Amino acid sequence: MSWQRRLAARAPAAVFLAEAARIGPVRETLALVPGIRLVDTPRHASVLLVAGVIPTGWRDDLRRIHDQLPAPFASVWCRCEPFEALRNPIRIDVVEALPQGVVETHRELMLGKRDSAPRLLPDEPPNPWEGLGDDGHGGEGMMGGTPYGRPMAMNMQDDRRDGLTLDTLTFRLGPFHSALPPGLQAEVSLQGDLVQAWTVTRKPFAGVVEPIFHAARQSSVPIAELELARARHHLHRLYRGLWLAGWPTMAERALRLAEKLGPNSDVAGLRRELERGGLWRLALPEPGRGVLDEAQARQLGGPAARAAGIDADLRSEDASYRRLGFAPTCREAGDTAARWRQWLDEIEQSLSLAGRAARYDLKTAETAAVETPRGPWAEGFPHDMSDLLGEVLPELEWGEALLTLASLDVAALDPLPLANDWRTGFAEAKREGSP
Amino acid sequence: MILDQLILPWLLAWLMAGLGAYLVAVLDRWMATGSTQAGSVWLAPLASAAWLLTQQATTTEAPDAGAWRLAPALYLALAATGLALVPWSPTLVGVDLATSLVLWGSLEALATVVIFLHGWSANSHLALIGAYRYVALGISYLLVSMFVLIGVALPAESLRWTEVVAAQESLWHVVSQPLGLPLFLVVGLGLTFWGPLDLADSTDLSTGTAVERSGPPRLVWALARAAMLVAFSAIAATAFLGGWMGPWLPGPAWLLLKSLAVLVVLLWLGRRLPRLAPERCLTLMWVVLLPLSFVDLIWAGAVALWMA
Repeated sequence: MSWQRRLAARAPAAVFLAEAARIGPVRETLALVPGIRLVDTPRHASVLLVAGVIPTGWRDDLRRIHDQLPAPFASVWCRCEPFEALRNPIRIDVVEALPQGVVETHRELMLGKRDSAPRLLPDEPPNPWEGLGDDGHGGEGMMGGTPYGRPMAMNMQDDRRDGLTLDTLTFRLGPFHSALPPGLQAEVSLQGDLVQAWTVTRKPFAGVVEPIFHAARQSSVPIAELELARARHHLHRLYRGLWLAGWPTMAERALRLAEKLGPNSDVAGLRRELERGGLWRLALPEPGRGVLDEAQARQLGGPAARAAGIDADLRSEDASYRRLGFAPTCREAGDTAARWRQWLDEIEQSLSLAGRAARYDLKTAETAAVETPRGPWAEGFPHDMSDLLGEVLPELEWGEALLTLASLDVAALDPLPLANDWRTGFAEAKREGSP
Repeated sequence: MILDQLILPWLLAWLMAGLGAYLVAVLDRWMATGSTQAGSVWLAPLASAAWLLTQQATTTEAPDAGAWRLAPALYLALAATGLALVPWSPTLVGVDLATSLVLWGSLEALATVVIFLHGWSANSHLALIGAYRYVALGISYLLVSMFVLIGVALPAESLRWTEVVAAQESLWHVVSQPLGLPLFLVVGLGLTFWGPLDLADSTDLSTGTAVERSGPPRLVWALARAAMLVAFSAIAATAFLGGWMGPWLPGPAWLLLKSLAVLVVLLWLGRRLPRLAPERCLTLMWVVLLPLSFVDLIWAGAVALWMA
């Protein structure tokens, strides 16, 4: 055993998380585990963690991701079937054991106690190009073909920003890209760094909310718990957004707040730090970018609608909420920056409601209609709105587009509750997970 | 002769690049307060380096192999060249050219080329966007850098770093040219694409130019970025904080302390601020910082005349 490998075993386990359907906040939980580092590209990982249910149509994409990890690597499967071709796959269905299992897997790989996983696909270019075309590089004359495996960048579209027409670059992103909702795949056309077209080629997996929102449709539930779950949901989304905005320190802070959330928690400090650091002045798209018109906002519902000035919130119809003096909190602009502010407003409002409801031990009065963090759930529930991205994202610069995407909850709501054990036991596992 | 002019500068530059990069990793980790990172703050960078050394260096479909392999090494070489220009005392200087200040300026420009090369040669879309973004940013911060550097050369009436330090004997430039250092720090964040100006290897591009990198080349790239931060900090201490000057301690010790102070400020800013949106970044550079750098230059000229 070389000293180098022993030292490498002490490095944090670099994990690429492929989020499949019907999983709880695995990313948010692992992000706080000592000894685990979540990475945004398979090339930077030593462990591929697949969590949740993988629909059949998504397994080939997963194979491609699997084969992108550099050796030595391994895959860990949580509540899903590993690929048959894998020898000795690691399957961990007990969620509490996940952090420790991932850290241990990395350590075994480095110490040579576990062989690197085999490749599942032949290592050949996705586009046939070698030996083709005039010079054998896949291109034909001045245009056409796939030189060196990439289609020629052609300026087939008028530029949508300043008239400076550049070659259009088209590529596919997803379905397990960490900046996109899990399952979403999009075909993106760029001119320079400007999104020209965004076509959803595969819908995102239905999103989940905490079981208490499902329970609230069956019987009365404590408002304090319901509101803390709502605040936690928004803090988790804020975490992902802040991570994308290149602010890991604050992203982690949002997560820590979510982890320790109680009726006496306060989001004012976090809000102040975000304001002082210049999140709205420097990092987020300028006012007027990523705007939803009234029809789009209404269709999407929830916080996105309220950020556009639509004061629709099913909590207004609940007598217990009315006793607490509830009124929907709204913004007017309906743009990306407004939706980010709306998160903070709603977190603040939820914490305030939770504090007061806990004092009076109030429970919900309505069961037929529940305002979930994703939107209203009455006769119908929030359905997939990912096609909206094709209308909202074009004409935005790449970074603006992703921060806008982060501000929109476009996945459908999964009407079936998750098992309760997605959330339990992590705290103990985290303490044990550090190498 | 050979010892003085070849071996010593070479040793100095690489020693600073290596130790400095390690220090950057330690400091940055230490600053991530409340962070979830496990293990000793001193051992963690070494463990991560060992991990990358054991990892396979993956490739992409038809990269520009030569350029892709060279880019991290070239960026590291630029950082080491920058460190070789830093005067540790009136006599202890790696490379004491009559135009060492101009050479530093050229390193900044070459960094733009190398970073572009790193992203472009991978033949991967996200890396390519990172590369193009960096070029768009690079042009704007290079102009600011040029005016600020001319500002420190004026009082010295020389383009030699040792003369720039000597000209600060009565008053450091951080005082006589108050706009200079803040502007230069922005240049440093741009040059090293660190924190708020990390548009090349950013999270929205899944680490941009480094998205396809793994194994030893990724280690070299990380090492080069950290070494460039150190080189920039040492140059900033030379240009604005009186370089080797100071009471009681020997010159090299003062330079180390001052460079460390600049480094800490840069790392702190990196943790304290979100990434600037590219369009806002360009507006800030061209509309706010560039005019301020004109003011800095006029100010520097007026002060130089008055003090002469």
